[in-house]
Amino acid sequence: MKSAENKSSLINFTDYLSAKYDADSINITHSVIDDEVHLKISVTNSKTPSRLTLVNKNTNNFKVIAEINVESQSSFELIDENNYEMDTSFKMDTYLGDGSVFELYRFNKFKAETRNSFLHTCSLSKNSTFKDYNFTTGSDHTKNQTKINLNDKNSNYIGSGVVISNSSKCENYLDIRHLSDSAKSDCSFKAVSRGKSNVSFNGKVFVDEKCFNTVSNQISKGLLMDKDSKVNLTPILEINNDDVICSHGAASGKADEEILFYLASRGIAKADAERLYIQGFLSEFISKIDDSEMQTKGRKYIIENC
Amino acid sequence: MLDIKNLNVSVEDKLILKNLNLSLGKGQVHAIMGPNGSGKSTIAHTLAGKPNYDVNSGEVSFNGEDLLSKDPYERSLDGLFLAFQYPIELPGVTNASYLKQIVNAHRKSKNETPIDAGEFLKILKEKSKQLDIPMDMHSRFVNTGFSGGEKKKNEVLQMDLLDPSLIIMDETDSGLDVDALKSTAEAINKLRNSDRTFLIITHYLRLLEYIEPDFVHVFQNGSVIETGDKSLASKIDQEGYN
Repeated sequence: MKSAENKSSLINFTDYLSAKYDADSINITHSVIDDEVHLKISVTNSKTPSRLTLVNKNTNNFKVIAEINVESQSSFELIDENNYEMDTSFKMDTYLGDGSVFELYRFNKFKAETRNSFLHTCSLSKNSTFKDYNFTTGSDHTKNQTKINLNDKNSNYIGSGVVISNSSKCENYLDIRHLSDSAKSDCSFKAVSRGKSNVSFNGKVFVDEKCFNTVSNQISKGLLMDKDSKVNLTPILEINNDDVICSHGAASGKADEEILFYLASRGIAKADAERLYIQGFLSEFISKIDDSEMQTKGRKYIIENC
Repeated sequence: MLDIKNLNVSVEDKLILKNLNLSLGKGQVHAIMGPNGSGKSTIAHTLAGKPNYDVNSGEVSFNGEDLLSKDPYERSLDGLFLAFQYPIELPGVTNASYLKQIVNAHRKSKNETPIDAGEFLKILKEKSKQLDIPMDMHSRFVNTGFSGGEKKKNEVLQMDLLDPSLIIMDETDSGLDVDALKSTAEAINKLRNSDRTFLIITHYLRLLEYIEPDFVHVFQNGSVIETGDKSLASKIDQEGYN
């Protein structure tokens, strides 16, 4: 999928944060209040995805508070492919109109000493889709929180999270609320925990009593690479009617010694064998990204960071 | 090229190999036959350096060097190849990517530059064609969902790509039907040459009907109890191990 070939613009929110975007279909207003960047983004008349790419200069800590409105039948891609060397805080509220599509891609590498938080609430209307892909590695403390409200029929959430934690605390919360019938959610989460890392994933799925014909799948897996590494996976299902198809699974464990021996028997040294193993572990869900350009970015991210 | 002297090996504190002595010359094909539980696979895993296989005493010399002091990957880089009885699956990594990485690991150890993508594809196509392996198999994850025959062919392909001087085949015939066994054996026979040594571990005569050994060793209770030529394999097939 390619973004609309509209006139491209650059907007500077501050000296250190800007965005490139398709000018014709995206309207952005911004203000800076007490070092907080406030954004209002609305996307209209864009059947081919409009794209906004964040550009960061890494000179200041920053907080971004964004309201995003993707209007009916419009498509929008938000890409954050930055290495952050400062503390960051994102708070996003997104509203998706009928039949709209929102794709969020975050390929972030954070500097070890930083603290980073991301809080996103997304509300979906009829026939709208939110594709949410999050790749995180690096910082001493990362907190990702995503709240999904499937408010209307045939609203659809697809999410994948990949975390590579090298000696840090990484908290991940996903709260999916099925508030209408015939909505779908599909979430996969994979984490690699190295050194003294502590990675947690709390994945909650709530299905309201009137939400018949619900489909919800959730899987989370953790890989422990060192004796002090921790992964805590907590899937929670709260289902209040019988007409649902729901699955959930969580598994964590150490690297399979048989696989590492197999790789060694082919001449691959231990550190490289572990990297290849992690690559395989994390790549399992990459095929869920249907945009080939973003799928390639995801694979590259994993290879470069594992 | 491979000399095993007085080798004693334990697994989980149980003594499996008991004072094993075996000598393999360059270009020779040796077969080890033995009943279930006799410790045949322990020889293969010990030589390849599998963790948790504890060498209590003994020596193994490979091309004049102490094999047992080396890490498993170093043994491979030195020219030892273990063909697994049950090749391991590696989900998430395509076979093509994996094969290229093992080739490059060996090139790196020889101070050669990584293989060019185009050159690798050309070699892969050529060798896959010789083994009757469809190229689309290389787009799949390593051994994941492969049939028994595909897994064994993938092992032979790796042998061919890595060009080892010693190939240890751990019950390569297990899980193969007659046709798959024949085609796998034919592919292995093509790799035979005067510089390459084979150690074939098997229960049965049938693999040795296709890959003719120079020596057959009967293995029981952790030791070689009899050595002969290929006629010994036929004798065992007719009379059993008892």
